[in-house]
Amino acid sequence: MTAVTLDEIGLKEFTLESLPRLKELRTQYFSRQPEICIERARYVTQYLREHDDSAHSPELRQAKKVEYFLRHKSARFHDRNLIAGNTTSKALGAPLFPEFFALTLWPELETVSDRKKNPQKLTASEASELNLEIFPFWMDKNVLEVTRSQFDNPECLQLFEKLVFFIAAKAGCISHAVPTYTSMLQYGLSGLIKKAAEYEEELAGVTDADAEQKADFFRAVQISLQGIIVHAEHLAEEAKELATVADDPKDAAEFTAMAAVCRSVPVGPATTFREAVNAIWICQVGIHAENINMAMSPGRLDQILYPYYKQDIAEGRLDIGRAMELVGCLWLKIADNVTMVPEASEELFGGAGTVPAITLGGVGKDGEDAVNDLTYIMLRATELLGIRDPNVNARYDYEKNSQDYCRRVSEVILNTKSVPAFFNDKANITALCGQGERLEHARDYAVIGCVELASSGRDYPASSSIMMNLAAALEMALFGGKRPITGEEQIGPATPDPSELRSFEEFWKIFKIQLDWLIEQAITLNEYMGAVHQEMMPSPLLSALFIGPMDKGVDLIRGGALYNSSGATHIAFADVVDSLSAIEQTVFIEKKYTFNDVLEQVRGNFSGQKGVKMRLYLKNHTPKYGTEAVIARKNAHNMIQHLFEKYQSHTNYRGGPYHPSYWTMTNHAGLGGISGALPHGRKAGEVFSSGITPVSGAAPELTACLNAVAELGGECVPGCWALNIKYTPESDVAIMAERFAQTIEAYFRAGGQQVQFNIMTYEMLLDAKKHPEKYPELMVRVSGYSAYFKDLNEMMKDELITRTQYGLDDGRVVPLPPEAKRRH
Amino acid sequence: MRGLIGNISRYALHDGPGIRTTVFLKGCPLHCPWCHNPELISHEPEVAFYAERCISCGDCQAVCPEDAILMHGEKRIDHTRCTGCGLCTKSCPAIALVMIGREYELEELVEVLLRDRHFFEVSGGGVTLSGGEPTQQLEFTASLLERLHNEGIHTTIESNGIFPRETFASTCLDHLDLILFDLKCIDSAWHQEVVGRGNERILENLSCLLKTRARDVIVRIPVIPGHTATPENIGQIADHLRKLNVCRYSLLPYHPFGCSKAAALGKIQKNSLPEQAMEQDKLGQWQEFFHGIERVLP
Repeated sequence: MTAVTLDEIGLKEFTLESLPRLKELRTQYFSRQPEICIERARYVTQYLREHDDSAHSPELRQAKKVEYFLRHKSARFHDRNLIAGNTTSKALGAPLFPEFFALTLWPELETVSDRKKNPQKLTASEASELNLEIFPFWMDKNVLEVTRSQFDNPECLQLFEKLVFFIAAKAGCISHAVPTYTSMLQYGLSGLIKKAAEYEEELAGVTDADAEQKADFFRAVQISLQGIIVHAEHLAEEAKELATVADDPKDAAEFTAMAAVCRSVPVGPATTFREAVNAIWICQVGIHAENINMAMSPGRLDQILYPYYKQDIAEGRLDIGRAMELVGCLWLKIADNVTMVPEASEELFGGAGTVPAITLGGVGKDGEDAVNDLTYIMLRATELLGIRDPNVNARYDYEKNSQDYCRRVSEVILNTKSVPAFFNDKANITALCGQGERLEHARDYAVIGCVELASSGRDYPASSSIMMNLAAALEMALFGGKRPITGEEQIGPATPDPSELRSFEEFWKIFKIQLDWLIEQAITLNEYMGAVHQEMMPSPLLSALFIGPMDKGVDLIRGGALYNSSGATHIAFADVVDSLSAIEQTVFIEKKYTFNDVLEQVRGNFSGQKGVKMRLYLKNHTPKYGTEAVIARKNAHNMIQHLFEKYQSHTNYRGGPYHPSYWTMTNHAGLGGISGALPHGRKAGEVFSSGITPVSGAAPELTACLNAVAELGGECVPGCWALNIKYTPESDVAIMAERFAQTIEAYFRAGGQQVQFNIMTYEMLLDAKKHPEKYPELMVRVSGYSAYFKDLNEMMKDELITRTQYGLDDGRVVPLPPEAKRRH
Repeated sequence: MRGLIGNISRYALHDGPGIRTTVFLKGCPLHCPWCHNPELISHEPEVAFYAERCISCGDCQAVCPEDAILMHGEKRIDHTRCTGCGLCTKSCPAIALVMIGREYELEELVEVLLRDRHFFEVSGGGVTLSGGEPTQQLEFTASLLERLHNEGIHTTIESNGIFPRETFASTCLDHLDLILFDLKCIDSAWHQEVVGRGNERILENLSCLLKTRARDVIVRIPVIPGHTATPENIGQIADHLRKLNVCRYSLLPYHPFGCSKAAALGKIQKNSLPEQAMEQDKLGQWQEFFHGIERVLP
């Protein structure tokens, strides 16, 4: 039985013209420049300096710090958005988390407002406050420095600081989670507080240390949730005040209504759709008092909010237009914040949003079609707004969901040119079940941040713990544990000179030695930083919005959730697989070149006539991932299999498994830019391929490419992947949508886990690079998230331009125009 | 059993229903001046040369056992000496020299075709045999069609109509779901002169085929300016189709696809052909002749 009652699932009658509030808010959104908000940094510093008691448990200290900030956080209304609450004090703000990397702003306090690329405004007085009051307090207190001093500046940390081997994300965040809002909506925060108080009381008579720790945790939950309630009260007071001073009675009525909403929720149970939407948003704001704004994902909102929608519709309190307006308002609220990015990071990795992911459609816990009217309302809002955040994703079960749904999602992608991304329920549920998750829990998965998967509110996945540069391991295997970029320094184990090897298998073994060594370093550092987080940054507030911590009396950071995975993603997958295949083919099978020949050209960056010739041969005559060449398939499979086994042999500090994944944000461009030439004919400095996507130009046939990727899917990729496909736009969207949907379904039937699109031509992107002013709103898929093209650095723009473009009228690669070819 | 395959084109949308894989078999008894696939006319493997890719490294010359490489001028292959062994194509780093035609074992080919099964299933597609003229390798074609049908794959053939009727009927027809049958001209003398063979057998084969499989035949007429595109010829074809009770037809607008491909093989197509493609919507005047017959888009 389908829950869809709409006559026309496209909801075409609703437009930005018919929803003028959304149009106005959208225009304001695009005209805003991000501003740095120092409120959080100010109040957490103040708290720690004046009120913190180090005798308390970490959970309690964290809760009090968070509560203190929320109590002092300003309550503002910047525009006519119907939903109360803001992430920061600014209309579009970057909050500061001195616990992590905020201090990188210190040398840039005077320049950040006016820098050329993506400036973030900072007032002079606030810059001065940071400089004199706030930053000096934190010099030795952020996660990185605490880890350094606590573990005696370990080798793994020094390796991470070189930034070209792997990234230990915990130095900057954990976040990356999907809470559950169901019980919050049902009982209100006061209900959750009551429950925590009861649990605390039950423990009152028990005297062992364990009980004391649990009681502390329950107290911490109550305190931190109380912080959200106080902030909601402040929002209500401000709204009431604004209602009294409003000139226009309509405005006054709106503020009065918002004041009423903030008095009812999230403290009490939500009784209407509007209350539920606002309750969720205020809780997101609360979560960001405790955890940094990076990939904190609201999850399956079409499921969570549906009962409230349905009831309001049935009782005549709500119509579709109003529901869409509220959804649009929520989307714009979710987009009200960015991360603070220092200039150096901007150069290498810029352009990302905060990637809060929303997941639509798919099947329910019972395995049946879960698409409902709200799914289509949210799709339409996404289509109309065309904004970077939230990162909207569509789940699709080709057996249970209707083809109408698949076609409608396809149409939204064609119209927005980039969103949502498509996720295959069958393959992803299989992947999660392979990690020991119960079937009904796996079926309730939601997307986190870019592409990672977690059972909603049950898995605390730290899904972005490690970002591993596979090309580093390859270079180390080629050069006996050294890399060109780090010079003569011996980094990894001193493995034998490859020119002495007799078989490809021997080289594969050496590669694995270097790779495994890097993984061990990255995991060791992740474990150290996990321990530091346990002492410094527990999450009692977030714990209250999860299934598990309240039953166990254990914070998320100590393994309180039902499932406790850590995620490790990989950069340069396709490039490294192609390099391995090129070596296997030309050195060991054909014996066309000696290993020394190849090393010489890699060192010399394929220069001179000999180099040019070898590079062409390597590019044109070796097996490529993204085709069905046997050797390429074998090497891709072996890589996936090896990484899976390697990570799964470790258990993290919360008692859960490591999940390998394959998404790269913009790191494939940044890391490619600083890596040497590779044996598949890639020259030094060229960008790597994104996510799990084949190397640009290496996969000439669409179906072969999709098959080659799809066959890697399933149990060995529990963290999912990002596959980027670029299609030529066609004039007839309806005809294109049909083929588009069929192609996705075939890819899913073959096992593909995820795919995302850019519907644009080389020429259009070249023009957008040349004339950014003509494309202020052009949104593109990077690797798992969306960005505005104009915000990306030049290298990333080139990567997007040169991505393989397929024509959906013949499944062939459209040749790259000469002006798009990189000049080296 | 082996077949000589010129090309395998996946995600083909214009060779029958749905998403298809089209197999181009090498060898054709006709020599139509406008041929889209002149590289598939010869029954032997050939080497094509793409001058714009060549870096003049000379590796081809070094490996050629027949001394068939010309290092000066626009042509690289002396086709009078070349035996099509392909050694030069393997050594050419820039893929400026490319082998046209590769022998496939039946099962090897079937394996490639089945890879896109999911695409066929979701779109109502399948496999199309084209060419060249697929019935020139009749035994291979018949086995391939049977093998595909046993796998439940929808099959289509594109044929110029010149095939041994009885063998085709007994070995291929039962394993074909759709027949795209080309008809260029009714006047046999013209046919002989322009494409190299008379059309008697083509017309006979068409009329026989229609007796049992009329619903599964689409007659395709190439509309070639200066050749087939005359009111007289198109009118005669339309009359003939009506007489035979043909259900469906389609018009194939002229496209100069073949010109550059022929040049790469050192062959020059007749320069009587226009350089510009004919647009689909320019076919209106010719469609009028076919009143009463269902038109299908190619």
